[in-house]
Amino acid sequence: MKHVLTLSALLLACTAHAQTAPTPNTPKREAWQFGAVLDLTHSTRALALGQREQGLQLGHSDLTASGPLGPWLRGHVGAVLATHDGKLEKGFEEVYAETPALPAGLQLRAGRFASQIGQLNQQHPHADDFSERPLLYRAFFGGHWNDDGLRLNLTLPTPIYWMVGAEAFRGRKLVDEMANRERKPGALTLVTKLGGDIGRSHSWQLGLSYLNNRREASVELEDEHHEEHEDHEDHDAHEHDEHAGHSHAALFTGRKTWMVDATWKWAPNGNNREQQLRISFEAARTTGLNRYANAGQRHEANAIAAVWRFNPSWEVGARSDWLRVNQPHGDHFHKGLLREHSLMLAWKPSHMQAVRLQVSRQRDAVEFENPSKRSVFLQYVIAFGAHGAHAF
Amino acid sequence: MLSKGLAAALLCMGSAAQALTVFACEPEWAALTRVLLPSAKIHVATHAGQDPHHIEARPSLIAQLRGSELAVCTGASLEAGWLPMLQQRAGRAVPVLEAGDHVSMIDAQPGAIGTPWAGDVHAEGNPHVHADPRNLLDVAKALAEELQRREPAERAAIAQRMAAFEKSWSARIQAWQQQALPLKGKTVAGQHSGFGYLWRWLGMTQSADLEPKPGMAPTPGHLQRLLEGLRAQPPLAVVLSSYQDPRSARWLGQQLNRPVLVLPATVAEDAGEAELARWFEGLITQLLQAK
Repeated sequence: MKHVLTLSALLLACTAHAQTAPTPNTPKREAWQFGAVLDLTHSTRALALGQREQGLQLGHSDLTASGPLGPWLRGHVGAVLATHDGKLEKGFEEVYAETPALPAGLQLRAGRFASQIGQLNQQHPHADDFSERPLLYRAFFGGHWNDDGLRLNLTLPTPIYWMVGAEAFRGRKLVDEMANRERKPGALTLVTKLGGDIGRSHSWQLGLSYLNNRREASVELEDEHHEEHEDHEDHDAHEHDEHAGHSHAALFTGRKTWMVDATWKWAPNGNNREQQLRISFEAARTTGLNRYANAGQRHEANAIAAVWRFNPSWEVGARSDWLRVNQPHGDHFHKGLLREHSLMLAWKPSHMQAVRLQVSRQRDAVEFENPSKRSVFLQYVIAFGAHGAHAF
Repeated sequence: MLSKGLAAALLCMGSAAQALTVFACEPEWAALTRVLLPSAKIHVATHAGQDPHHIEARPSLIAQLRGSELAVCTGASLEAGWLPMLQQRAGRAVPVLEAGDHVSMIDAQPGAIGTPWAGDVHAEGNPHVHADPRNLLDVAKALAEELQRREPAERAAIAQRMAAFEKSWSARIQAWQQQALPLKGKTVAGQHSGFGYLWRWLGMTQSADLEPKPGMAPTPGHLQRLLEGLRAQPPLAVVLSSYQDPRSARWLGQQLNRPVLVLPATVAEDAGEAELARWFEGLITQLLQAK
């Protein structure tokens, strides 16, 4: 114990040395920054599992403020506005404090924030390359999983980027109605990311994420289940009514989820403003669906997208999504399948504005109601004031 | 356990004895760091072929910042789209010396709040401060102080190098000003305000900007309007930076029958004083030859 204390004292001394190192000649007091983003989208038809309704609606729009909270913390507040079923929904999506200056590459964050699993979850949906998140996120994470919790990240002192991080969340947004009550943190995540450049023109990032969800979704009552089964033949029309009510919770959950993501970007001579090709792939697999599931029953989804910026103001992209689930019905499961293909063209006259035209079609739907043969989205995103720098 | 403590202490001392690692946001600051502290290990985040406003917060840059003890950047929001993300992801509070704090800025718009239609508004002023060699001297002085504080053992050597640089650089500035006298009063058409400080230094003016709003790509309508305005008083040349698409400038140059100059936006990543000087010589020579 004594040695541990000595070691800690030494490390602290090291840290203190680092912290008392002089700062540049004119230390500037960092000011709080405020910003707003408005996302207006018109869609001709809602997608199955889609987050955009038919007609004109306010998408994920937010008001954000971020800045220093004293010398050791940074704060961030984000309020989100969106219309759903003709009603305006509002709430605080992000309220957190984080440490910018812990020693040894460590970073701690506490509050409400988006989990860093996968490649897209941390990004605000209005910054996406497509008008709808991949099926993977819509089915497994309610589109964008943010929750109350803690995060500890470590950026290792390696020549290539290597980050490992852990998060503990309440997990409420993953599972609305639980089968049982648990007091422990509802969801734990482990994430690692690696990335680097190859020459001037290529850059890459690989991510591996694990989510342990202790909250088990409540299973349907036997009675409901039998009713459902009686008219099993035409259940396409009305099944899964329990999901028709609006909820931000994930639709398909399980005990364990593994995700891999890979991104490769190419820009001639590294000048990504003029031209850039971005290719990204994500895959997720969830097991331990509920107490009745066997090891072979799982949810799987993947998404592959390519976006080409062919001019400073124009981008064109395509994405293909695939989802296979085992929908719980009491003590057994119904297999569900859905494919989705999207094409988009975006005009970005500056980084403050974007107009996007997207066409999506869904195919091979099994057990999903109202797959869309064709949905056309016209999206307009406009940003005011500070809007945080984007991640890779 | 004791040996572990010893190892930690050694590690602590070891890190203090190592060469200073510097993250330079742009190659010109890497060059100045090299002039003042040749032993420094320098990561150069960008190069002359890249638009410094639109760098991505790439994993490689996060790793470089994570490994640095000091960052030398332009500031004035030039890196606002990427440096904050690098700082957040690096997990290390690396102090940043901003060149913009040590020079007098032009085109400052105090209190200006950028709207989505106004383009990239830098309320602090034009951030491309390195295109005036006198600014490099001011930044070098601030950087020398900073490096002296971080490398006390090199204090005298840095002071010596700074004095030598000040002497040779001031002489060069004098010579360039003489050489560039014929350029005084001339106008240029340019894409973006990337050389605003160069024009001011040489007594030239930029009579037209190919960008309809700062940071926005040229549009045919805007170029057409420029052409009509410029016909009466054609500029010496149509000027653009090495990282910009030359098509709009070429079209305008052709219409006006004026030369198109592609000027390197900055020096090479491994440059020192000699290359910095060669860069200014090149800029002046290119402008003098545009007749």
